[in-house]
Amino acid sequence: MNEPIQSPNLRWLNRLRLVLVLLLLFLFLVAIELLGSSFKAIGKDTAEQLVASVTNPFAGLSVGILATVLVQSSSVTTATIVGLVGSGQIPLSIAVPMVMGANVGTTITNTLVSLGHITRADEFRRAFAGATVHDFFNLIAVAVLFPLELATGFLRRSAVFMAAWLQPGMGGKLPNPLKDAVKAVSKQVVGGVESTGIQGGWLALALFVIALAMIVVALMLITKNMRVLMAHRIEGMLNDVLGRSGLLGLLIGIIITVSVQSSSITTSLLIPMFGSGILQLEGAFPIMIGANIGTTITALMAAMVAGEAGLIVALVHLNFNLTATLCFFPFRRIRNVPIICARGLADMAVKNRMWVVAYVGVVFVVIPALGILVFRWIGLT
Amino acid sequence: MFKWITSVGENVHGMERMCAAFGQMLDEGRHVFVTAANAYLGGTDIEVIRQDLFDTDKRINHTEQQIRREIVIHTTSHGVNSVPQCLVLMSIAKDAERVGDYAKNIFDLAELNPKAPTGKFKEDLISLKDRISTLMVACREVFDLQDEKAARELIAEAKSIEDHCDHKISQLVSEGKNRELGVSYALAYRYFKRVTSHSFNVLTSIVQPLDKLDFSEPGPESRAG
Repeated sequence: MNEPIQSPNLRWLNRLRLVLVLLLLFLFLVAIELLGSSFKAIGKDTAEQLVASVTNPFAGLSVGILATVLVQSSSVTTATIVGLVGSGQIPLSIAVPMVMGANVGTTITNTLVSLGHITRADEFRRAFAGATVHDFFNLIAVAVLFPLELATGFLRRSAVFMAAWLQPGMGGKLPNPLKDAVKAVSKQVVGGVESTGIQGGWLALALFVIALAMIVVALMLITKNMRVLMAHRIEGMLNDVLGRSGLLGLLIGIIITVSVQSSSITTSLLIPMFGSGILQLEGAFPIMIGANIGTTITALMAAMVAGEAGLIVALVHLNFNLTATLCFFPFRRIRNVPIICARGLADMAVKNRMWVVAYVGVVFVVIPALGILVFRWIGLT
Repeated sequence: MFKWITSVGENVHGMERMCAAFGQMLDEGRHVFVTAANAYLGGTDIEVIRQDLFDTDKRINHTEQQIRREIVIHTTSHGVNSVPQCLVLMSIAKDAERVGDYAKNIFDLAELNPKAPTGKFKEDLISLKDRISTLMVACREVFDLQDEKAARELIAEAKSIEDHCDHKISQLVSEGKNRELGVSYALAYRYFKRVTSHSFNVLTSIVQPLDKLDFSEPGPESRAG
């Protein structure tokens, strides 16, 4: 019955796991570098044509949502955006709404997890409300900050300002052995693919697919291994957060998400706790906001090899989530808006399950798809 | 907050903490049982122990709820591999909680029936109370050590106590003597048996697989079959 105290074998296994995580982080950085190389291989004109297909911020927002829904990971989307911006393939004006879209798209995962409780009405009401409170927070944040950013560019400006301070330390001017190592391995991969005889567009496509696959696999394995390594500590933190202050929840949300490199994991962990009724929406909401902040670490890591523009996008992601937190978290009335919306939707969903289908379909698929199609149709993509 | 931040680095074993809480339930269960049994057998003033007994039972209930909450968090953070362990803990925590309830039943018996048992029944119930108390202490130790051999010996002792209680209950029913106190004795034996049965259930978690919890191990013949 009792769980054995960590045996020497288990300790070694955990150390090996940690080494594996470090190797995977390196692989992740190589993938970001490779992503830039793939667009360089495609040729400037073709790349510009491809990227020109998304030049409207609204379309960018929609692409961010849809891409994240498809890969079920905002980390993958934001890291890819950082890589593309770093290599000069996407302008900042489009990358910023894409990152906002990724923030919205990532909330679908815990909403889908909450469907596991659908057969028991009360449990489902709690779980679905717990899942969608994150959705509403991020949707409201985008609804407020996206127009503000379009009008003032405050997120971009503040990120540029911060990047100017950070850039020397991030490897722009000072010698950076990590960046050199990443570039060397990336060159080897490009050389390996070139040696197969593939050229031009096909070479670019092959490199793009390899880079994307490496990002997905590396992040997936990092998350999986870190979850095992951190299981006891995550458990301890979740136990600590029950019935404690909001600020502690916020901090716990950040720590867990930074540890496992996935806000979806953090927010999905809470769903069974909502379902069983041991966690209330008011208590868990700060954890979700913390997860939003914590998830920005992936883009910041990717920025280590993505140059100044990449760093600016990563900082926009961070600033967006920090601004949203500062706008909504300190004020009880504003903080309660997403909670009230989530409870209302959950009540409707319990009465008629079609609301679940309608909500997920409309918010995560129909609106973003329409956003892209409409702007394409009127020639403003 | 600072205290919490400095403790984040510590490696907290949730299952260990839950098992420690469960061990505390066993200790407190034994305490309330012995207290209530003493009250029934005339060794203690009911009013003196009332508050302590009810407070301890409340603590047992709170600990059970705490274990349940932690089980949800444990399974959530550790995944499907932790489910069997948690199901076992969920089941035996219920057993530990029931001991508190039966102790209250014994206490009620003492309140409803101010006359303490007398004669051979009193002697027998005192000896039985001591055996059950010893069993409960040993049950806690064996659970902590997960000692299968000792658990089997205690299971045999628990069965012997249960058989003794059953025998006494049938004797009271069939003989029809002790009209004044017969019902009270029968109920006392019944409650003593239930307390023993819940300790038995806890012991089965050490030697039995999950699906056989609360059941005796099959004899050598049925195992061969």
